[in-house]
Amino acid sequence: MSRSITIIGFALLISAMAGLEFAARRGISGIPTVGQWLGYLMRSRAGRALVLLGWWWLGWHYFAR
Amino acid sequence: MTTGEAPDRWPRSSGRPARDTLIVLALAGYAWVASAAAPFSGRALVSVLVPGAALGVIACGWPPERIPAPGRLDVTGFSYWAICIAATLEWEASAFRSGSHPWHPSLTQLIGPLIQPHPVRSGAFLVWLLAGWALVRR
Repeated sequence: MSRSITIIGFALLISAMAGLEFAARRGISGIPTVGQWLGYLMRSRAGRALVLLGWWWLGWHYFAR
Repeated sequence: MTTGEAPDRWPRSSGRPARDTLIVLALAGYAWVASAAAPFSGRALVSVLVPGAALGVIACGWPPERIPAPGRLDVTGFSYWAICIAATLEWEASAFRSGSHPWHPSLTQLIGPLIQPHPVRSGAFLVWLLAGWALVRR
């Protein structure tokens, strides 16, 4: 697999998620925004802890390494 | 929307714009200093540990007013997100599985060079800090 195909794959997936967020904010057919589905996952204490841990891991992964 | 709520705006205003501006400026200053730390250094580790610990303390000890979570999610609507996230994880996993060669880089290998310039890195750090605050309010 070539490097450009890999990059195009990531770009397509990220664009798709940006499109989903845009559609959600336009109120299209029940698609939740990132904030809404994260809020839903964070209703429980365990879900809240896992999401916050994931946020911290991202910071560690990209800024401390 | 089937979630029953209007999409929220981000970042949300607290109704005190002067205080909000000061907080963002302080966070931007922290991001500027923290993102100057050399990778794999103790200072870099501390610079991400401090916000993590601070948000942990705030979330447990002095939780801010939370934004109400939706009572339920539309399964079809959420499935689009789930498919995209699963596909991204699979694409990333396939890069690791093949050894993250230059011809099949992982997302980390692609993003790393993009956030190397200090202004970009500090901007990304600030976004990370603001995202953490947004999560604590959820």
